[in-house]
Amino acid sequence: MKKLLTLVLALAMLLSVCTFSASAEELVDGKFAETRHITVEIYNRNNDGGTDPTNNVYTDYIKAGMLEKYNVEVEFVSIGRWTEVDDMNTALAAGDAPDVCVTYSYPTIQSYADMGGIINLNEIGGKALEEYKDVLPNLWNLLGDTNIFWDQDPDSGDLWAIEATLADNARINTFIRKDWLDKLGMELPTTEEEFYNCLVAFRDNAETLLGDDASKMVPYSTSYDIGWRNDLLFMAYVPEDAKDEDLYINGFDDRHLLYPNYKEGVRVLNKWYNEGLVWKDFAEYASDSTHEDDMMKAGFVGAFQHNWDYPYRGGEDSIQANLQRNVGEDACYVAVDTFVNEAGLHRKFLAPSIDRKVFFPATNEEPLASLLYLDFISDPETIAFLQLGKEGETYNVIEGGYEKIATTGDYLQNSLNNIDYTITVNGLYLGDATAVTTAMGYEKVSPELIVTANAAAKADGRIVTTYHCGAIEAEQEYGTRLPEFRDSLLNKAVTASVDDFDAVYDQGMDDYLTNGGQEIIDERAAKLEQYYGYTAE
Amino acid sequence: MNTNASRLPSNRSSNFRAYMRRYGTLYLLLILPLAFFIIFRYVPMVWILGAFKENNIFKNPWELDWAKNGGFEWFVKAFKDRTFINALRNTIMLNLLDLICGFPAPILLALLLNELSFKRFKKITQTVLYMPHFLSWIIISGLALRLLASNDGLVNILYKRMTGNPDASIPFMSNTNWWVGTYVVLGIWKEAGWGTIIYLAALTGISPELYEAAAVDGAGRFKRIWHVTLPGLRPTIITLLIMNLGRILGSEFDRPLALSNKLVTDVSQVISIYVYQNGLKANKFALTTAVGLFQSVVGVIFLVAANAMAKRMGERGIM
Repeated sequence: MKKLLTLVLALAMLLSVCTFSASAEELVDGKFAETRHITVEIYNRNNDGGTDPTNNVYTDYIKAGMLEKYNVEVEFVSIGRWTEVDDMNTALAAGDAPDVCVTYSYPTIQSYADMGGIINLNEIGGKALEEYKDVLPNLWNLLGDTNIFWDQDPDSGDLWAIEATLADNARINTFIRKDWLDKLGMELPTTEEEFYNCLVAFRDNAETLLGDDASKMVPYSTSYDIGWRNDLLFMAYVPEDAKDEDLYINGFDDRHLLYPNYKEGVRVLNKWYNEGLVWKDFAEYASDSTHEDDMMKAGFVGAFQHNWDYPYRGGEDSIQANLQRNVGEDACYVAVDTFVNEAGLHRKFLAPSIDRKVFFPATNEEPLASLLYLDFISDPETIAFLQLGKEGETYNVIEGGYEKIATTGDYLQNSLNNIDYTITVNGLYLGDATAVTTAMGYEKVSPELIVTANAAAKADGRIVTTYHCGAIEAEQEYGTRLPEFRDSLLNKAVTASVDDFDAVYDQGMDDYLTNGGQEIIDERAAKLEQYYGYTAE
Repeated sequence: MNTNASRLPSNRSSNFRAYMRRYGTLYLLLILPLAFFIIFRYVPMVWILGAFKENNIFKNPWELDWAKNGGFEWFVKAFKDRTFINALRNTIMLNLLDLICGFPAPILLALLLNELSFKRFKKITQTVLYMPHFLSWIIISGLALRLLASNDGLVNILYKRMTGNPDASIPFMSNTNWWVGTYVVLGIWKEAGWGTIIYLAALTGISPELYEAAAVDGAGRFKRIWHVTLPGLRPTIITLLIMNLGRILGSEFDRPLALSNKLVTDVSQVISIYVYQNGLKANKFALTTAVGLFQSVVGVIFLVAANAMAKRMGERGIM
């Protein structure tokens, strides 16, 4: 009995030694001698008519490819797309997170890393990630040192996650009902003032434009997410000479709340709201409400800002397609580049080319196989198949690119261009064929609209330099609750009366800063001085 | 009973054996529920220690280092945090309002139902009253929004037509005071009917003779309610009141979360939402364990105090 126990213990030890000494030497001709098994996270969007995200033609392709190339079995585990942070937290806390995880939330990774729940990528098999470069050529080609080491701590060298790349950094656009402008004999607006005049004209001509439904007129709509949905308006008020360093210090909030002069942009929206130009009930509907989209589809909304291709997404169910069905063939949202800053530029603050964050939880016993998975999924051939599908079934080859075909069968993509599978790249990544394919990629929408929208979203774009100062502790502490304060502040400020605006805004900003905002600013400033020698004025 | 003298010293154990032979199967039946409580209710209590230790959910709480301030770091932190104080205030305010407005509602409703003489109508009314209980708060919040939204809610559309003023609207969901009212009224609408069940059950226990005697003595309908029905309900009312007071710091999660919006967070953020946002979303498990422990301790204090008070007033209490 004792002998048996010793044997078992010895075996267990040997096994654990094996798993912890993962190294490229385990590979024979680039392949594991014995079949390994890994689990990989996949978002579940629960779309109508969608396929099982863990088992379809695309996962079959990946499974077959990984088995053939590396002798690694892949199993997909689905995580709710819209509850990903909560689901991921629960899985990590319970110790049953997939071996390869992906999330948009770096703070989640950092806080689990602090508790010892995440693998340090610079210590896999006791080696720095750099030493695996030879076996990960595709990953390195796709992401480069910039994205791979983006999150590396400048002091300790710890690396908890790899940043996927954002293939297209188009972000937000302003959309307006072109057919309404035509009906009223107006031109596409090119300045804030002209845009305002359009909204006033929509409001005052509700009877002409909507007939019996005049009372449902919404000249300009927004959601409770004021910061995202009005970013272009607000950013036109940020001084052109704001320095990258200062924008970094005040750059914690991804909606740019702390950028200089932000308040003046919000003031404009507040004025519009009080003049009856903005959807009155926007603040009362929650994030998962489709009410606003439904109003757009029904043809009641004159203009709005949203993700750069928002009205065109979704094929038959897109806002554009519904609008044309409900209102008429000529009904159409077009992207306009309207808001100009003091320097005369259509300034937009675009995100650097980072996207989702890929990491391995501490429960991952196959870190090398997991790395190889990342390499496989970054292979241009894999990406092309996942994004395009099968010729004749999901796409046709056309001059300069590919034309997508609507499909409802096995080859249906649950996410646009299968971005949920291409976890190391978000957006079409087809080399020279990308531009044409993007323009042709929206069923029911003419390519010109897409080209216009894509160009408008990036015109005069500015990308603020990212300073790699390591983890900011105050962000761990307050990072997840500050967006609540931000939204509360902006919703209250926009719906306040014009006279109360200053008081409401200042009170909300005070709450934001005293509840952690100021600590983050101070720590960022201190770290910037420490690592880059910059002293804030 | 075994009376054999030679086995006298082991009398006790044989007693036990006889007892077990007789009732053993009943104890056997008890094992499963006991195991459930031990595994799912008592073992997790070890994690209460987490409230006094450093924040880490991957290590055994016994092995973790104590938190700062002699273990009370997280308690100190919570009470220094304005958002927690706000959540505490809101929890107490909403629960008190619920208690004051919501507690009498099912009693009144039960009294009314009890007075209905037409059986069929009574049954139908009861069923209709129970129904909202089976709807989730998510559904109710959706209904509420469609009915009560400031601008395009049905109630406000009617209100506009009635007043003839297109700008007139009642901010049911967007003004903090109105929102509290909406919150309480929706709570009553959802649960009052269900709450009557226990009172109606108690009412069946009141002897009809008492009513007949009261009627003979010339008591009218209201007098009979006052002198017969209500005294008959008193033990039930006291029991439920004590249990409700024990929940004074506890808070529902889905109700405030579903009904809330960004304009009313000043009054809608309650402790359960605080725990969700800081614990599950921001991984501050030690902090939120401390908050949960605080909630439970205050709840127990209220429960015991209310029970003692009830006993002093001559009621039976629940403990």
